[in-house]
Amino acid sequence: MKKIHIVAGLLLIGAVVLLIISTSDLGTYYTFSEAELLEDNRNVKVIGLLSKDKEMVYQPEIDPNRFSFYMKDEAGEERQVILLSEKPQDFEMSEQLVLTGRFINGVFTAREMLMKCPSKYQDDEIFVRSEI
Amino acid sequence: MNEIQYIGETLWPRHLGQLLIVTGFVTAIGAALAYFFSEKSKEGLTNNPWLKTGNWAFTVHGVSIIGLMALIFYVMLNKMYEYAYAFNHVSDDLPFKYMFSAFWEGQEGSFLLWMFWHIILGWVLIWKAGHWRAPVMMVLALIQVFLTSMILGFYLPFGDGSSKIGINPIILLREVQDAPIFANAEYLELITGSGLNILLQNYWMTIHPPTTFLGFASAAIPFCFVVAALWRQDYKGWLKPTLKWALFSGFTLGTGILMGSAWAYEALTFGGYWAWDPVENMSLVPWLIIIAGIHTNLIAKSTGHSIRATMIFYLLAFCLVVYSTYLVRSGILEDTSVHAFTEMGLENQLVIFILFFLFLGLGLFFKRYNSIPTVQKEEDWNSREFWMFIGAMVIAIGSTLITYSTSLPVFNAIIQTFDPLYASKVIEDPISHYNQHQLWVAVLMSILTGISIAMRYRGTNWQNYKPKFWGITLFAAAIAAVITWLLLFWLNIVAWQYVLLLFAAVFAFMINLDYLILRIKGNIKASGSAIAHLGFAMMIFGIIATGVNKTYISSNVFAQSGLLEGMEDEDLLSNIVLIKGEPMFMRGYIATYQGDHFDGITRSFDIDFVKIDEDANPIAEFTLSPNVQYDKRFSKIEAANPDIRRRPLEDIFTRISRLPAQQIDLESAREIEDSLRFETYYMGLGDTTFTSKHFIVLDEIHHEILHPEKDPAAKDDIALTLQMRIHSLDSDTIYTALPGISLRGAFVFRYPEQIDPLNMRLQLSDTLIDDLFLAETALDFTTYEVARGETFEYNDFTIRFVDVNQEPWHPSYDPIDGDIALSAILEVTSKLTGSVERTEPVYLIRDAIQTNFKTMVPEAGLHFRFTRIDPNSGKMTFLVAEQAMKTFDLPVEIAENVPRSDFIVLEAIKFQGLNFFWLGSVFMMLGLLLSLIVRLRAKLG
Repeated sequence: MKKIHIVAGLLLIGAVVLLIISTSDLGTYYTFSEAELLEDNRNVKVIGLLSKDKEMVYQPEIDPNRFSFYMKDEAGEERQVILLSEKPQDFEMSEQLVLTGRFINGVFTAREMLMKCPSKYQDDEIFVRSEI
Repeated sequence: MNEIQYIGETLWPRHLGQLLIVTGFVTAIGAALAYFFSEKSKEGLTNNPWLKTGNWAFTVHGVSIIGLMALIFYVMLNKMYEYAYAFNHVSDDLPFKYMFSAFWEGQEGSFLLWMFWHIILGWVLIWKAGHWRAPVMMVLALIQVFLTSMILGFYLPFGDGSSKIGINPIILLREVQDAPIFANAEYLELITGSGLNILLQNYWMTIHPPTTFLGFASAAIPFCFVVAALWRQDYKGWLKPTLKWALFSGFTLGTGILMGSAWAYEALTFGGYWAWDPVENMSLVPWLIIIAGIHTNLIAKSTGHSIRATMIFYLLAFCLVVYSTYLVRSGILEDTSVHAFTEMGLENQLVIFILFFLFLGLGLFFKRYNSIPTVQKEEDWNSREFWMFIGAMVIAIGSTLITYSTSLPVFNAIIQTFDPLYASKVIEDPISHYNQHQLWVAVLMSILTGISIAMRYRGTNWQNYKPKFWGITLFAAAIAAVITWLLLFWLNIVAWQYVLLLFAAVFAFMINLDYLILRIKGNIKASGSAIAHLGFAMMIFGIIATGVNKTYISSNVFAQSGLLEGMEDEDLLSNIVLIKGEPMFMRGYIATYQGDHFDGITRSFDIDFVKIDEDANPIAEFTLSPNVQYDKRFSKIEAANPDIRRRPLEDIFTRISRLPAQQIDLESAREIEDSLRFETYYMGLGDTTFTSKHFIVLDEIHHEILHPEKDPAAKDDIALTLQMRIHSLDSDTIYTALPGISLRGAFVFRYPEQIDPLNMRLQLSDTLIDDLFLAETALDFTTYEVARGETFEYNDFTIRFVDVNQEPWHPSYDPIDGDIALSAILEVTSKLTGSVERTEPVYLIRDAIQTNFKTMVPEAGLHFRFTRIDPNSGKMTFLVAEQAMKTFDLPVEIAENVPRSDFIVLEAIKFQGLNFFWLGSVFMMLGLLLSLIVRLRAKLG
């Protein structure tokens, strides 16, 4: 057996170990009720739709890192969410949200959020030249 | 149904474009076939009719596609909104400089850009590739067949009618969208383009995509060479030309990726230069594989080892480029990436594209596997090629891990087609996920770059060289250990893994520096690899420095801790509120928001920073001005642009993350205005008025506007300011307000005052204007006839007619040629107070008609008219009336529920050592470029 094969073999073993380690921190998307039942303090991802009819509160004068709104998760459950950040630009336009966070004192507290806004390719709206 | 005859459409580009697309597609097939037969025929280069045909067909293909691009550009430039592509990507107000950005904003445009580079590179190959021309060009033409199919826009005649091949870039809007507006024959008059996303209106968007696509396109050339070599079974001759192409690709793709990274850092608000976003990852992986290929290619060229590995790397690099295209454009990353396209129905076509070339490349490779020559004697462990090969393996492993994690959405989708209940796997924290394995890859890569550069190919003369090798290596390791120890004082690193990586990077740096200076003695021709590796080491160092020491300085630990019970990681709280004029303590800085100013649609916020030491002594001062951009009509904020203070060792990155709601968009502003509850208070001069929370004293009445927002050049007809003192009931602070109201021509101007700390707004009631501007009939004028210099008495005033002014000014008077106009300078002295005021009523003869313009001395409450000039006596006639300004019952509207508008929400991040990352990446690219140039010149020389 060549030396290089031994080293390559060792590297492959290392790669497999890293692969297993990196697979171990993968999660799945949770629903609110599943996330609430988690014992450990880890952050999980919850996917859902923004409840546009519910109130969205952002009062930077009081706390610039607290934005609260409601989201309906994939199971259809609607919950209040606190995002530990500012209210993002064009938030009202977003539809699907992916939140990363955990339950703190009974409220899902997100530290990160990915918004999906309807793309210009999808909407059938034709911009009509406005009269000024 | 009758066909509508649309008005105003320009249809020739549609027909010509269709023709060009079909021609481009057919000639690509033609070129591939011709090159195929050319290679089969085994005739020479000079007189091979198939080769000539191939070259011609490829050239026609190129001209068609470039012509099509020009045509689309023409349509966009002329704002022909009947074309979907123009409608979707340009607008009337889009400046020309962003026309290119708009061109490659869309999927079709970026496919065309990619094809454009293949065409240019193809022409270079036809010119330069010698006897490799036919087989290499055949593969490239085949790639072009697949790419052209992406823009065919051909609907399949079976199925439900919605299956199509490609998207036609020059299709009409009414062909792709079914909207009621198209029932109108003159619809074109009514529509306007939706324009280019403002985040993409940026010079990076002009240069980053073409560079990246040149990198992608050039990654195809090594693939073509490998297929050609396997086909011909010529396993040695391809190594030399391919290396140049791979270096070119490594340089261009690397530069493209780094441009994207710089863009993300300085113009977008990602808060960093790399986020392990799937789209970023999938441009990095092909580059890494090309770099691995370059290393094994060098080994193969020098020693004959690693030919197979080189082939595999180059084959995979191109397939990964196509795979990354698939990931980015198929919409499969929607949930995990911030900048993926949404699906456009090209997914299946892209899958066929990948699989075809994967099978072509790997199929041929394994078919020929046993005939590919290998060197029987194994690499010695003391040879450079041994360690270089291991380095390439490490890169490959790193790339595999990145690809695996990035492909999770694909695995999820595949599993879910068999098991719909399967719960998608997802990476919970991408940064730590990728870092935990890439850290080890980086450690190994750093150490291997060091060791391998210290070795010699084939371990030449090892016995004599051995002591020197160990000398260099151990010396570098010792120095690296010392430097690492010193660096730990600057960087706050706790985890031993990062200390190890830091050591590895410094080791690689030292040993490459030694190589550059002492061993090749600065010989520029041989220095490419050492420079690139120095760059790599610096980059790794920069990554550690910024990664472990990225600090949100926009955080006030005292003010913010405990806001959320159970939250330990206050480091994550990134925003702080800065109130105008109030210094705020942040981590290591005092920040004061001084004010804002507009420049067109851009509104910049000046923030003064004072860097302080542990005892709060100031160390340095600087000002940063992050800005926001409104849309053209100031109806909403479209983008926030960071401002960065760059210093050699430290960057301070600032961004406006939020403004008061009333300043974000018109809708919120209106909502807030509507929510204000104004109450009218009647005040008298010197009186005190109590509101619910405060008491207000009306101190003075001024007959001019004193509000800071008044344009000093504008002259008011009449104006009133009430100077008020506001006392809060629960604090000692006293505020002064100067709300005003004025009349200029036919317009009433209001100057409300907002006292943000009291949530109060004061404005003068419109009825005050009526009080000021009494109807002429209510005035009781007295007539005086006086000569220049004379004085007359009126009530408690002495009025002197000082002089005549030949160039009169009056807000209501617009001079015309032929006017005879004069004003009289009158000096009004109050007998009671002794105050002196001047006024100039105007007398005018226009077209033989006499007229005049009234003036007022508000302080005295006197009105003046200048009505007649007696030509004989020279005496002039003035009318004077008194109408004293009321000083009681003055209506003032006050609201006390006004949200504050004098603050900004700021995010400020400190990056330490980021410049090592940029400097390192520049070195790396320079190293690649240098290696390329040296090899290109060697061929010429």
